[in-house]
Order: sequence, then C-alpha cells, then structure tokens
Amino acid sequence: MVVFALLPLYWMLVVSLKTGKSQLVSGNPWWPDNFTLEHYGGLLTDPNFGRLVLNTAAATGATLVISLVASTLAAFALAFYRLPRSRSIALSLFVSYLLPPGVLFLPIALMLSTLHLTNSLLALVITYPSLAIPFGTWVLWTYFNRLPSDFMDVARAEGARPLQVLRYVLLPLSGPALAAVGLFAVAVVFNDYLYTFTLVNDPASSTLMADVGSNLIDIDDPGPTFAEIMLGVAPVALLGAFFADTFSKGLGTGVVE
Amino acid sequence: MRRLPAAPQLPISRTPWPALLLLSPALFFVVVFVAFPLGLELWFSVSNAQVGELGDFVGLANFGYLVQQATYHDALVNTSVYTVVSIAVKAALGMALAFALVRPFRGRRFVYALIFLPFIFPTITGTMAWYYLFSNVHGAINYTLMASGLSRDGVDWLGSFGPLPMASLITVNVWHGVGLFTVLLLAGLRSIPNEVLDSAVVDGARSWQRFIHVILPLLRPAVALAIVLSIMGTFGDFAIIHILTNGGPANHTQTVQHMAFVVALRDGDLGVSAAIAFSLMPVYLLAIAYMLRTVVRQ
Repeated sequence: MVVFALLPLYWMLVVSLKTGKSQLVSGNPWWPDNFTLEHYGGLLTDPNFGRLVLNTAAATGATLVISLVASTLAAFALAFYRLPRSRSIALSLFVSYLLPPGVLFLPIALMLSTLHLTNSLLALVITYPSLAIPFGTWVLWTYFNRLPSDFMDVARAEGARPLQVLRYVLLPLSGPALAAVGLFAVAVVFNDYLYTFTLVNDPASSTLMADVGSNLIDIDDPGPTFAEIMLGVAPVALLGAFFADTFSKGLGTGVVE
Repeated sequence: MRRLPAAPQLPISRTPWPALLLLSPALFFVVVFVAFPLGLELWFSVSNAQVGELGDFVGLANFGYLVQQATYHDALVNTSVYTVVSIAVKAALGMALAFALVRPFRGRRFVYALIFLPFIFPTITGTMAWYYLFSNVHGAINYTLMASGLSRDGVDWLGSFGPLPMASLITVNVWHGVGLFTVLLLAGLRSIPNEVLDSAVVDGARSWQRFIHVILPLLRPAVALAIVLSIMGTFGDFAIIHILTNGGPANHTQTVQHMAFVVALRDGDLGVSAAIAFSLMPVYLLAIAYMLRTVVRQ
C-alpha cells in the first residue's frame, strides 16, 4: 500500500533528476540513469519560480486564515448563541459544501469575470475559502458541542465576555479541530485544478498548480516541471501528511464517535 | 455520533444580532459563492443561455434534449460505475489500512503519513504522473511489463475500448482518496474500547463475525462521513478524468459532471451544461441525505 501511494511520487522524483529532452520515450523510467541536478539549479535562479511559490503561499495562507477565522466565529455563534434553527443552519452549511463543483463552477467563473476579477490572485483567494468554510464551520460546530460545558459556565460566571470565552477557553481546547480545519483548507487549495485552471491564465498570478497544469502538454522536456513539483509543493504536502494524526483526531472527536 | 447534548446556551444576548454578526463572514462566502451561483445555474438549466448572454426561459427543453442524447446515457452509466466502484474499493482498502494502523508499531507514524500523502498532494500533479505511468508511449508500467516479459507489446491502459480506461481512472481515484477513508476510519476505530477491538483481532472465524456484528455498526458514522465526502469528490471529479482520458476514448469514460464542463467550456452552451449538472442532483442529494442521517443522528 505504501508502495502504491509512493509510486507516482517516486516516478516524479526520478524524472526531475534526469537530463534528456526525450526521457519520456526512452531509458529506464524508474531510475535516473543520467543523473543531474540542473533542473533544480535552474529553478533556484528562475525569478518565475520564486513568484509562483509566493503566489501559491499567498493563496494558501490567505485561504487558511480566512477559512479558520470565518469558520470559528460562525461555529461559535451557532453553538453558543440563542439563534433560531442553529442546527439547521449548521447542517445546511455542510450540505452546501457537498454541492459538486460542476453545479457552481460556471456561475462563479462568469460572476468573477463580470466583476473583472479573473486573472488575479484575488479571484482564487476569495473563491477557495468558500470551499473550506462550510465544512470547517460544521466540523468546529460539532467539536464545540462536544466540549464539556463546565469550563464555559465557570468562565461566564467569572464575568468573561463572549469573545474572551472563545479566545481563552474554547480555542485552547480546540487545537486538533482547528488543525483539521486548517489542513482541510490547505487540501482545498492544493487539490484544486478546476478554478486555478479556468480563473487564472496570466502567469504573473498563477499558482504552482496552474503552472504545472499548463506545462502538462510539454512532454519534450518534463524535467523542469517535475522538479518544480518536487521543490515547490512536495515539501508542504509531506509536512501536511505528518499532521494526518491530528487531522484524524480533530475530525474524530468532533464528528465521529 | 451519538445524540448531542443540548449546547450550553450562554445568556449572552436576547437578540440574534451578535450571533449574526459572528456568522456574517461565513455567510458572505456562502451567499456569494454558493447561493447566488446556485440560483444562476438553476436559471441556466431552464434557459437557452450562452456565454455572455442570460438567454430566455425555455422550460424543460434542455432536459428533454439530454434524455435523447446517447452520449448522456453513456455518461450516466460511467458515472455510476466510477462512483460506486471507486468508493467501494476505497472503503474496503481504507478499512484494512485502518485496522493495520490502529496498533502502534515501529514507523507507524511514518507509514500513516505516507498513506495520507496522496490525499494532500496536489491532485493535478499526482494525476499527471499517473498519466505517464499508464502511457502507451514508453509508459513506466508498460516498460516494467515488457522488461519483465509479462507482456510483449504493452497494454493500452487509457486508450482501449473495454474496461481498462475506467479501471485506470478508478485506480488513480483510489490512490488519491484512500487516505481520507483510512484517517476517518482510524478515528472511528480509536473510539471503540480496546477490549472489543482485541477480541475481534485475535481469533479467526469468530472475529469476522464480531467485525460484522460489533465493530462495523460502531464504525457506521465514520464510514458514512467518509462515503459522503468521497461521493462529493468522485461524483464531482474533474481533474482526474480531464487529465487521464478527457472522457475518452469515444466517450467511454465520460461522466455526467465532466460532460457538464465540456459542454460549457467547449460549446459555450450554458443551458444544456446546467441541465447536465443538475440532472443527477435528486439522486445525489438523496444518497447524501441517507448517509448524513447516520452521521448526524438526531
């Protein structure tokens, strides 16, 4: 299973370490017979690569922060305020996350293009959170609901203001759930192809994912593209993967019992 | 998830306004990027809208047109196969992996991370790699088959008629998604008391029974949640299908959601595209509602 999981990743690594423009039509695909680091060296001196990394980091960071803040506030309101139908609101948020992109994508693209927002990083930064917030709110809401209430009752009795309760009582108890939602937001950005593929054509505001996607056809010289993946996204993905345990705990205690 | 205790309602405010204020950032995104687009798409589905014009009301003509299209019938069959088989395989593999990982062992954390990695690794890049692994022009899989003498001319994984292209798509879908099942099922397993687990792991035939009758029911919410999330990713998949086969050869792997994109992006026909995208929504939402009842038992 581990071999299956790593197979395409290992293959990418090999391609990124090989010279030869025609390596996809000859040679051993599983071993870098003509080893080189030139693709990596090329990337490090390429200002375009730096910009792609910055764009990707900006899109990911903004999505992460916006999603976490908006989901936390919403989940807090739904769990602890007197609000009619808060349970139905939480559930419909979850269902709204489940609408397949095929249903929402075209109107979103048309709307953003009417507002002249396409071809900018902003288009992605405002679209991605809409994919992470509904599920994030739902996860945090179920998590908050399962926390023992005595902490909050004590804090309230001591005269803490609602946002102080959130800041000093709830958030310190919610580490795993917040990490799970954060990781989920990162996964939304990293797994997106559709929006970055259609909303942004301008290389100046592309993410790594869009750039790699647009190089897809260039099978003549795949080395640089795959070096880009290995250097640009693989470390972040690997780091994220080590949070799998936190992810499972965050979702686990909140959602699955 | 068991019945939730009533949330400890803080006597914070007698009016709903503070709560609405806290909800407003989330609601902004949901209204602008879900509710409004949904309304627009619904209008498209009953209009003859093209890119750049909102069009006129045409009733159910788009749906009527669809029903007569052989390509749409293909897509219905392919969507069912792709969704059902992918999820069944992911559920079975994810269950096995979760059981393998529930006990601590040396390097467990590492193995766990590597199995989760494809889920968080950008789909497009992983799928691109698979494209070249499956390729019939010096693809890595065929290279291996031919070098080891298992096959003389290699196999046309993506371009042949028959079940191979769909099987290849499902393989990549499983590769990407099995980590999510593993993680959620493991979370479910961990909430089961150790004695129950131990007795199921230890002895042969009886443990299988115990698995069916004791453990599986306890895992139902975790399984249901994983399936719900997975239905969404598989039914709505664009990247994997688009990169590997683009629906081909000759429509053999076209799915309903991917067809909706193609019709809109290639033909600019928003009306028909919206009708395609909505056509399975009743079934989709029913399936999800059914699963959700297990996740949120109330």
